[in-house]
Amino acid sequence: MYGKKRVAIVGAGLTLFRRRLKETGKELAYEAAKMALDAAGLELRDIQSVVMGTAPDAFDGVHMKGEYLADGAGAYHKPYTRVFVGGGTGVFTPLAGWWHIASGQFDTCLVVCEEKMSSCYPHPQYAFTTIFDPILERPIGMNLIWIFALEMQRYMHKHNIKKEHIALVSVKNKGNALDHPCAQLAARITVDDVLNSEIMAWPVQRLDVSPTSDGGAALVLVSEDVAKEITDNPVWIDGVGWCIDSTHWTNRDLYYPDYVEYAARMAYKMAGIKNPPKEIDVAEPYDPFDYKELHHMEGLLLCKKGEAPKLTAEGVTQRDGDLPINPSGGLLGVGNPIAAAGLMKVCEIFWQLRGEAGKRQIPGDPRTGIAQAWGDLMQYGSVIVLRR
Amino acid sequence: MSIEKITNPFDARHWIGHMEADYMYTLGVVGERFFKELKENGRIMGTRCPNCSIVYVPPRMYCERCFAKLEEWIDVGKKGTIHTFTIATIEKDGKKLEKPVIYALIKFEGAHGGMIHKIGETDTVCIGMKVEAVLKSPEERKASINDIAYFRPTK
Ligand SMILES: [Zn+2]
Repeated sequence: MYGKKRVAIVGAGLTLFRRRLKETGKELAYEAAKMALDAAGLELRDIQSVVMGTAPDAFDGVHMKGEYLADGAGAYHKPYTRVFVGGGTGVFTPLAGWWHIASGQFDTCLVVCEEKMSSCYPHPQYAFTTIFDPILERPIGMNLIWIFALEMQRYMHKHNIKKEHIALVSVKNKGNALDHPCAQLAARITVDDVLNSEIMAWPVQRLDVSPTSDGGAALVLVSEDVAKEITDNPVWIDGVGWCIDSTHWTNRDLYYPDYVEYAARMAYKMAGIKNPPKEIDVAEPYDPFDYKELHHMEGLLLCKKGEAPKLTAEGVTQRDGDLPINPSGGLLGVGNPIAAAGLMKVCEIFWQLRGEAGKRQIPGDPRTGIAQAWGDLMQYGSVIVLRR
Repeated sequence: MSIEKITNPFDARHWIGHMEADYMYTLGVVGERFFKELKENGRIMGTRCPNCSIVYVPPRMYCERCFAKLEEWIDVGKKGTIHTFTIATIEKDGKKLEKPVIYALIKFEGAHGGMIHKIGETDTVCIGMKVEAVLKSPEERKASINDIAYFRPTK
């Protein structure tokens, strides 16, 4: 037993993901949090603690974003904290919620993630330019897409992977998203569409990339005692893991995300998972770019290094395949409001394990699922294992 | 929950604001020396960890792996290998660049670290290509990473 109390998820909420929503960031947080509470059959007064996850202040343009969003997250007069680990935030936030309850301090925790990227104009990419080292990298004119292009190129080179095989991920995820009511970029596209889309920074093309979005997501976490009182079908948080690699990304090889493997091993050990591909029924790895889904499948030990493109080409990762990957449609299809996108993945596993994923429901009787997010300067991994 | 599909953010009612703040970033203890060497002596320096046998380029004050304070400075030369690269064709705002720019991650010989920089004097690059730093003239150098104009294939 890890911690003093076992922790269950009993409700999830998700707003639409769009290029720009009419709602403010606070209103998005409220919509998602209220949905999650309603789904759990709880009221705000039942909530003892609140954890908020949201990415750089520069997106919303408010330099106190945690506090700014507090009321929308339901934090009035409650123990409240905002957590932020870059793109890894969305899966890290429920991990922080987990330790609120596992510590024995609280029996309930409301976990809320929000991102309002449309506030930043002409494009949220401008906010990303200031994540780099101000002395060594920014004077060269670094841009976020370029560093991912460097990583993608290294991954392709190391395993001799063709762009056609990477493009299949974009085709699959945007197709899966057609069944997601919140999706921003659902579409039936072909590999040729991806290969013919605008080149941004070779080898990255327009359809290899997820969009910027506004959106919110939320979960209600409770202790085992409370879970038994209020629901017959809790979903348990059985594994948590997180890890950071060197911030000096120019010192790394880039072809393989070690830090994701370390985070996964931590979570699998806690969950007692010894053979990940056999014991995991469904996975939502972070896919802001199509190659990242493959990169992360390997880091999560769901296959051997360099083997993920082959599994994708064989259909193993389709919803009806042996190992469904991103049945939600992922960031490529549903959208990428950074922190909310990561939590959307945890929501998806929650719904899949409860058999509540509607048209996206994977066949069989999934009992174990994982979600993973990734961020900062290609260096942060957060992993959660859920079980029914 | 609003359900409209706005694709242009400016189509929704909004207020234009501005975050007023400019910055001056300190080079740091190690940065001062690294950029002084680059500007005055045209040398690219690294620091070595005696415990881990790692040469950090650019140099660091401490080893992040064992927390030793690093005091051994090494001239790593100007030659390196392209570890990975990209050819950028659009800007961060989505506009097309007038001319594609090649950026590469260059690993230095005999060092653990690397550097991101532009590649010049060639239109074609590949992983594994040997390159060397081209420095600006001493008069043009300002103690900045752009004192290295770019890297070019070694002859
Ligand atoms: Zn050391």
